[in-house]
Order: sequence, then structure tokens, then C-alpha cells
Amino acid sequence: MALFIEKPLAFVWKDLINEVSYKFAFFMQVCGILVTTVTFFYLSKLLGEVGTSYLKPYGGDYFSFVLIGVAFFNYLKVSMDSLSASIREGQMVGTLEALLVTQTEIPTIILSSSLYSFIFASFKVAVYLILGAFFFGVDMGNANIMGAFLILLLTIVSFSSIGIISASFVMVLKKGNPVNWLFTNVSGILGGLYYPVSVLPKWLQKLSAMLPVTYSLEGMRLALLKGSSLNALLPNIAALTAFSAVMLPLSVLIFGYAVRRAKIDGTLTQY
Amino acid sequence: MSEITKLSYCIETQDLTKKYPVIKGYGGLFTHLFRKKEIAALQNVSIRIKRGELFGLLGSNGAGKTTLIKILCTLVLPTSGTAWMNGLDVTKDQKKIRKLIGYVVGDERSFYWRLTGRQNLTFFAKLNNVPRHDAQARIESLLSFMELQYDADRMFKDYSTGMKQKLAIARGLLTEPEIIFMDEPTNGMDPVSAQKFRKLIKEKLVKTEKKTVIFATHNLHEAEELCDRIAIIHKGEVKTAGLIGEIKREFHSGKGYVIELKGPVTGFLEKIPYITSARKVTIIPDNSFSDTTQIEVEIKDGDNDIFPIVKEIADLGGKICSFYEKEISLGELFSMVIGRK
Repeated sequence: MALFIEKPLAFVWKDLINEVSYKFAFFMQVCGILVTTVTFFYLSKLLGEVGTSYLKPYGGDYFSFVLIGVAFFNYLKVSMDSLSASIREGQMVGTLEALLVTQTEIPTIILSSSLYSFIFASFKVAVYLILGAFFFGVDMGNANIMGAFLILLLTIVSFSSIGIISASFVMVLKKGNPVNWLFTNVSGILGGLYYPVSVLPKWLQKLSAMLPVTYSLEGMRLALLKGSSLNALLPNIAALTAFSAVMLPLSVLIFGYAVRRAKIDGTLTQY
Repeated sequence: MSEITKLSYCIETQDLTKKYPVIKGYGGLFTHLFRKKEIAALQNVSIRIKRGELFGLLGSNGAGKTTLIKILCTLVLPTSGTAWMNGLDVTKDQKKIRKLIGYVVGDERSFYWRLTGRQNLTFFAKLNNVPRHDAQARIESLLSFMELQYDADRMFKDYSTGMKQKLAIARGLLTEPEIIFMDEPTNGMDPVSAQKFRKLIKEKLVKTEKKTVIFATHNLHEAEELCDRIAIIHKGEVKTAGLIGEIKREFHSGKGYVIELKGPVTGFLEKIPYITSARKVTIIPDNSFSDTTQIEVEIKDGDNDIFPIVKEIADLGGKICSFYEKEISLGELFSMVIGRK
């Protein structure tokens, strides 16, 4: 097997063995998904027809709206957390030093370390969608799978670029990572996770338009709930592409600088 | 670096210096840009290590041994000076250097505790580009080499300290490296396991496998037992380097002898101050029930001969059973070296 895929797979294999060894944790995570889904299902019953006008572009149903939001917000959280968490964990647990003297480059180590989290996030998203579609009546019959997949790909790339910047802070500052805190919280409030962006005042909507999560969640809802065509999804695709094109090279530059800084300061493996 | 040096030495450092910035709090990140506060971890370190050598880096905690090893392992960049390994510059050829080295760290946290020993080795073999078809055979052979074959499928968390260290060596050897760095690998091991471990390094790695081993320790006994040559590091400076015997001679010019006297020597003890041919005579306290008394004599500067002293003791009534040259211990030497300005 090609070496470039063999190493990431080795990380996934290692993390899978590690996770499976904590048998109850996996069960609890699936229970957590069920609890969230049921909570929002009854919350949407309580809301009833309230806010239907805001939800009309996404099919008019609050439960479907929030389920897609909660499910795909997982990717943002994983992108933001897993890269920096893999560095932090390696520093704390002590494995980072052993990894850094291997014949694997630092970017491969960091990206591969977070791969399992992305796969598990995808599993969680699948569980959310299956629960929603088969047990709670979310209609995804017209879903544009191709469009949703494209949005998902761009979402991961654009979120990961912020995650890489976040990891750079951890590399140098170890704790108190401002990027992670700021982006996750601001995205949660302004990105259209629990409510459509249109309910926000105009000036907050302008701020919301600067966040990739806004385009990601909107695009995903349009693709899965309304079956919007690639043409209709173009504004979201373009925004996410532009964000990725600027942020990804920038994040790689920042990360390179952070690694060099940590090697100069001798703090690469400190915590 | 000259071609001769490249061929002769496996590792060479020239005036290697490492200063760490002292940054306190977030404010420090800003003020550091204008007013740099630094602490020197290594100062002008120049050492040369030959191929196939078991070289000891000896120093107390915080002396700079780990910093030196981390620079050579490409984990830390030096502030100034140069270091070459097999002619490769540690700051420029990091990728190539990582192919040459194995790093055995005393820190048992560097493994995944919920993976078995074999799974840990398999994972690190992949990261070290060991081809899949070679990896399994190599892992089996290393497990057997380290006498871990029967515990290979136990989780790492269930290993004893000695087993963890053995697995660390096995990991360090996965790539069949030319050079192996060991940073306090016997930390936390019981004396019997540590003794076995040292034997394994000397007999198997150096004598059989012909590896170059750089062994950092603060354990003087360990360094004396293992190493051909040592460098004593203190406060970031190499105080001395060379063969242990040569360093002993350099720092301890005055020759000392131990003389064993037969029987009760009560009457003789009062005469000791009258032994004029020795610089100093000391009675060695003895808690055993033997019927001999040992005295330590230091011969005068410029003298090389013990016989005038032996004759004088005999003339004064001392019954000499035996005498032998006293060798200074590495512990005493270490105190002398780090105490010298």
C-alpha cells in the first residue's frame, strides 16, 4: 500500500484499538446522540409553527433544521479540537517526542492524529441522519448527495485550516488557545446552528457572513432537506472554496513557523 | 568539516550552544521581543564520538545532557555552533538524520499504554518506513532479542519498568539505526534489572551489533561499568572528555596505595605520624571481624615509588600482608571535575 495512506491508516488503527479498549465510552457516545435527537425532537414539537417563515428556505421543519445543524457542527468541533488536542495530548501523555523522532514529517503526524476523530464524527453524523430519517420523520428523500458531499469536503478543508492555526497556538502557548475558543463559540452563536441566521439583526448577519460554518450548514441543509442543485449551492460552494484557498496556505505557513519557534524555544514536547 | 573528520567521527559538535528564552506569562511574550532573557543550557560544547563507541554523557540533573541529545535527535535547534552526524548537519539534514538514529528515552510515557507491546512496535515501524514485509520479522526478532516474546501481546500498561525499557530499546532498534541515543534509560529500574539491561547494551548492542551508543546518565557507577569514553557535563559545559582512565590520571595526579597490615596494630598506630616518606597516611575504618588493618598512603609529588614507604612501615614494626594501588572512583573524579574552575 502506498506509504502516504499507510501512515494515516496506522494512526486510525492505533486510535481504534485505544478507543475500543474503553468499551463503555463508545456506548455512552451513541446514547448521547440519542438523547440530543430526542431532546430536539420534542423541543420542535413545542415550537410547532413558530418561526416557520424563517425556516421556509430549509423546508419549514425546525427538527430537520436543527438535526442537520447539530450533526454537521460536529465537523467544526472536530476540526477545531482534534488537531490541537492531538498535539496537547501527545505533549501531556509523552508520546509526541517519540513520534517526532520517527521518519514521519510533523504535518503528517498532526493530520493523521486527528483522522480517527473525523471518521468518528462522520459515524456520529450518520447516526444522527439515520435516526432522523428512520425514526423521527426527517424527509431527505430529495437529497442532493453529490452536492452534500462537495459541501462536506469543503467544510472539512476550511474548518481544518482554522484547526491548524489553533494547533499552532497549542504548539507555542500550550494552553489558553484563543482561536479555538473564539471560533467555536462565535460559530455556535452566529453560524446558524440552532436557529437560522435570518433571525439575527442585520449587523450580526454581516459578521455571520464571514464565518465558513454559516455557508457549510446552510449548504448542507439545502442539499439534504431541499435537494438543491449544484447551481443553487454555488454561493455556498464559492464561499467555502474562497475561504479554504486563503486560509489553508496561511495555516500551513503559521504552523511551520510555530514548529520552528517551538524547536528554538525547546518546548516542542513540553506542556 | 574535513573529509578525514567525516570518516573518523560518527558525531561531532563544534561550540554547540543552546540558550532557552525565559518567558513568564503572556506579557513576557511581548516584552521578550525587545528585551531577551535567556538561560544557557549548553555552552560551546565540542565533542567527538567514534563509530562503534559506547560514549557516556555524565552529569547531574539539569546539566544539559538531554538538551544535547535532543539537538542531535533534531528535536531542538541549537542557538549557535554546529553538530554533524555522519557528516550531516543536524539543523539542515533533519530528515536524513532521523533515518540514522534510534532514540531510547527513559520516559515510559512515550508508549501507548492500552496497546500491546507488539502493537506499539508495529505502529512505530510504520512511522519509521519499515517495509511491511520486513516489519513483522524484525519485530519478532527484536522481541526475542529483548526477551519479550512471551509478553508481546500484553498491554503496555501491564509491563514492569524493566520490560517497558526493553520495549523502548526494541523501538529504538526498529530501523536498524547506526546510532542509538539513550537518555537515562535505567531510570526507575531495580538494581538487578538495571544490571541486566547494562549487560545487554554492552554485549548485544555494542559488541555484537557494532552500534554507536550515546548513553546519558547521572549514575556514575553505570557510566563506569558501561562506557569506553565519557564527557562530564556540568551547567551546560563539557568539563572534560576522554577515556575514563585518562581523565582519572588528568585529575588525580597524586598516587595512592592501600596497604594491608597483619594482626593487632595498636602499638604501630602511634608511630604512623613518623612515616616521613608518605605525604598522607590514613587508617581505613573497618567494620569487619578480620584480623588485618588497612591504611591508605599517598606518595609525595614527584615520587613514583611505594617501596621507601613499605620499608619505613616495616622498620616501624608494621607487618605488611599486601599492598595495591588505589584507584579513584568515578564519583570522586566527578566531584573533582565539577569542582574545578
